[in-house]
Amino acid sequence: MTDAEGREGTPRESYPRVWSWLLAPRDIAALAVFRMALGAIIAVSAVRFLTYGWVDVLFARPRFRFTYWGFGWLPALPSTWMPALFVALGVLGVLLMLGLFYRVTVALLFAVFAYVQLVDVTNYLNHYYLVSLLLGLLCFIPAHRAFSLDALREPALRSDWLPTWCTVLLRFQVAVVYVYAGLAKVTTDWLVHAQPLNIWLAARTGLPWVGPLLEQRWVAYAAAWGGMLFDTTIVLFLLWRRTRPFAYVVVLGFHTVTFVLFPIGMFPFIMVTAAMVFFEPSWPRRLLARLRRRPSETVASPTHGAVPAPSWRGRVALGAALVYAFLQVALPLRTHAYGGNVLWHEQGMRFSWRVMTREKNGSATFMVRDGVTGREWHVVPSQYLTRLQEREMAVQPDLILQLAHHIARDFEATTHHPVEVRADVRVSLNGRMSEPLVDPTVDLAKEEDGLGAKAWILPSPEGPPIHLRPTRTARAGGPGV
Amino acid sequence: MGVLSLTTVLCLACSDTKPKPPSPPVGGEDVRAQVLSATSDCILGTAREFLPKAQALRDATAALRDAPDAATQAAARAAFHEAMDTWQVMEAIQIGPAAPRSTPGGQEIRDNIHSFPLYNRCSIEEQLVSKGYEAPGFATSLVTRRGFLALEYLLFYEGAETACGANSVIVANGTWAALSADERAARKRAYAAVVAADVSTRAQTLVDAWAPESGNFVKTLSTAGAGNAVFPTTQVALNTMSDAIFYVEREGKDQKLARPLALRDCSSDVCPELLESQFAGRSKKNLRQNLVGFRRVMDGCGPDFSGPGFDDVLTAAGAETVATRMREQVLAADAALVAIEEDDLKQALVQDKASVQQVYNGFKGITDLLKTDFITTLDLEPPAGLEGDND
Repeated sequence: MTDAEGREGTPRESYPRVWSWLLAPRDIAALAVFRMALGAIIAVSAVRFLTYGWVDVLFARPRFRFTYWGFGWLPALPSTWMPALFVALGVLGVLLMLGLFYRVTVALLFAVFAYVQLVDVTNYLNHYYLVSLLLGLLCFIPAHRAFSLDALREPALRSDWLPTWCTVLLRFQVAVVYVYAGLAKVTTDWLVHAQPLNIWLAARTGLPWVGPLLEQRWVAYAAAWGGMLFDTTIVLFLLWRRTRPFAYVVVLGFHTVTFVLFPIGMFPFIMVTAAMVFFEPSWPRRLLARLRRRPSETVASPTHGAVPAPSWRGRVALGAALVYAFLQVALPLRTHAYGGNVLWHEQGMRFSWRVMTREKNGSATFMVRDGVTGREWHVVPSQYLTRLQEREMAVQPDLILQLAHHIARDFEATTHHPVEVRADVRVSLNGRMSEPLVDPTVDLAKEEDGLGAKAWILPSPEGPPIHLRPTRTARAGGPGV
Repeated sequence: MGVLSLTTVLCLACSDTKPKPPSPPVGGEDVRAQVLSATSDCILGTAREFLPKAQALRDATAALRDAPDAATQAAARAAFHEAMDTWQVMEAIQIGPAAPRSTPGGQEIRDNIHSFPLYNRCSIEEQLVSKGYEAPGFATSLVTRRGFLALEYLLFYEGAETACGANSVIVANGTWAALSADERAARKRAYAAVVAADVSTRAQTLVDAWAPESGNFVKTLSTAGAGNAVFPTTQVALNTMSDAIFYVEREGKDQKLARPLALRDCSSDVCPELLESQFAGRSKKNLRQNLVGFRRVMDGCGPDFSGPGFDDVLTAAGAETVATRMREQVLAADAALVAIEEDDLKQALVQDKASVQQVYNGFKGITDLLKTDFITTLDLEPPAGLEGDND
C-alpha cells in the first residue's frame, strides 16, 4: 500500500486497508505548524476587527439581525459585550498558536467564532465559514502534542505522531473549498463573458504598474479561465509530491494577486495557510534542519503491530466523519434542487463556496398597506438596517423576506391592524441592467420562510452581462469625452 | 390633476433627452482622471459662485439690522433666495472639505452652512431670548441654531408663538412671552446678521479649502492615485463623488419627499411641516437645484451640463444605456417638479398629493439606478458601506 506521500505502508491483512491507513502514524509537525498559523490568523483577524471599528459597525449598530434558518433562537449578546468577545478571540488565537490549554482553547474558539458568524447572516463570508469548519475539525485533532506549551507542561501528552485521518480530514476540507470554488466558475458569465472580473478589473486600471494591463480585455479572460483552472486542479497538484512545490508557489502567487487586487482581507492568508495541509508531514523538521544547517531529525516511528479491530467508538467516529464528508459534498450541490440561476435567486448560495462569482447590487423599498384603513407607507431599509446590512439584504431573497416579516410585526404593533408588505426590489447582476428580483404583487407578510423554493422570486434576466471597454483612451479624441 | 399630468407629459416630451452637447476631444488620458479634474474645477467654481452671494446675504442682513424697513427686509430675503439657490446645488456635491469628517478630506463645512435635516426651532427661539447669538462661542455652538435653516426662520417667520414646549425654560419662565413684538423682531434681525456673517465666513473657508492658491483640494481630488494620501486610487475618489450624489436618495427622496408625503415618519395624511423649507416657500426650488448639482457631477459642469461627468466614464466603458437611463430619470424627476404649478410643495401636498408623489417616483427612479446599474458598472461601493473583507 502506498500513501499520499509515496511511502510503503505495512500490510494489515486482518482489517480493511482503509482502516489501517487512517490509523497509520504520521509526523505531527506539519499539523502543529498549521495549528500555529491558524491561531495567528485568528488573532490578527480579531485585532483587525477591533482596530478598524468593525465590531461596532457589524455588531453594535444593527438594530435588527438576520438569522439563519433554524437559528432564530440564538441570542444576541449585548453590544457592549462584543468587543470583549473579539478580545477573547484574539487571546484564544494566541493560545491556539502556542498550543496552551489546547482542548479548551480550540473548543471555545470554535464556539465563539461560530457564534460571531451565526449572529447575523449579513456577516457571512466564505472564508469565515471555512475557519469555523477548520476549528470544528481541530476540536477532534490533538495538534498540541508537539511544538506546544501543553506538550512542555505535560510530558505524558507528548507525541511526534498523529494518525493519518487527522491530515486526511483537513485535506478533504480544503479540497472541497478549492474544487467547488472552481466548479462555481464554470458558468457562461465567468468563462464566456469574463464577468464579474471584467467589472472589477476595469475599476482598477488606476493601480500603479499593473493598471494599464488590467484594461486589456484578454486579461479578464485570462484571469477568469486561469482562476477556474487553478481552483479546480490545484488540489491534484498539491497532492502529488513531485508537483507540490511548484503548485504551492502558484498558490502563493494566485492569492497574492487576489490580495492586491480585491478587498478580500484575510482570505488569501487563510487559503495559503490551509494549503499547507497538503505538505508532507515532516516538512517543518526538514526546514528547521536546513536553517540550522544540520541533518534532518528523524522521529522514531511508534511501534505497533496489527491494527486492532475498530471499537464501537472508532466505528462511530468513522461514521461521523463520513456523514460530515457527505454533508460537505452535498451542501454546495443543494442549489440544483431549486433550478434556475443561483447567483440570482441565492437559494443554496451560502456554504457552497461560490467565491467571488457575482457583482450584485440592489435597491429595495417595502410598501406597507394597512389591511383595515388601506393607508400605505413606503419603508426604506435604512429605517431598520445599517448600510452594510441593507446592501446584503437587497440582493438576497430570504433576507428580504425576513425584513418584510419584521416590518409587518412592527407596523402591526403600531397600527393594531393586520398589514400587507410588498417589496419593490431591483437588482443588477454582473452588470446586466437591473431587473425586479421579487414579485411586487406578493404579500410577503404571508409568505413562510423555509428551505422550500420561493415562488415569489422572479426569473433571472436572460441576456448577457455587460462588456466593459477600457476607459483609458489610447489616442487623441478617444471615446466618451 | 389631469392638467398637471398633461403638463408632466408635455414637460417630459419637451425635455432635452438627447445626448448632452459634445465636448472637445481630450486625448491620451484616463477618462476617470478627466472626470475627477473636471469635478474639482466644478466644485471650486460652484463654491466661488456661492461666496459673493453669501457675502451679499451678510451685507443685506446687516443692513436690515441697522436700518429695518420693508426695503431692507425684501433685500435680505432676496439675498437669502439667491444664496440658497446656489447652495442647494452644492448640497448634492458634498465632496472633500464640505463633507463630514468621516469622509476623505472632510471638514464638515456643509453642516455649518446648512444642517438639514437637523433643525430645532425651539433652540433658535431660546437663543433669541438669551441672546446666545452674541456669545463669543456662538460660531461653534450646535449647528441647529445656525446656518440657512436658522436664517430662514429669522428672516421669514413673523408669527409670535414659540415652538418650545411647556418644559422649555423660555416658556416655563415666561421669558418668551415677555418679549415685545418689536424686541423680538429686533433680536431676530440681529441674530440673522450674526448667522449670515457666519455663513459668509464658512463660504470663504470652503473656497479657500479648494482654491489652488490656498488649500488646493482641487489638486487633491484631481491627482487621485499613488502618492495621494487622501485619495490613494482614482477609484476611491470616484467613490467619494458617488457617495456625494447619493444625496438625492438620503436627503432628497427620503427626507424632503417621503416624510412630507407621509410615506414615513408621519401619522397624518400628509406632513407639510416636514418639508425642507418651512418659511421661505422654496422646497420645490431646493429640489430642482439639487438636481442641477447632481447633473453637474453626473453629466458635466459646463453649459447645458456639457463636459466630463460620470456619464462619460459610463459611456467610455460601454455602458451608454446606464448613462442614458440616468439622464432620462433626472429629467423625469425635474419635469415632475416643474409640473407642480405652485412655487412651493406645501400647497401641492394638500391639494394634489399625487403630483408630489410623481416627484417622489422620479427621485426613486434615480436612486434605483444609482444603487444598482450605476455602482455595479463602475464597481463602486454604496455610501457608508463597510470597507471590510469580501469574497
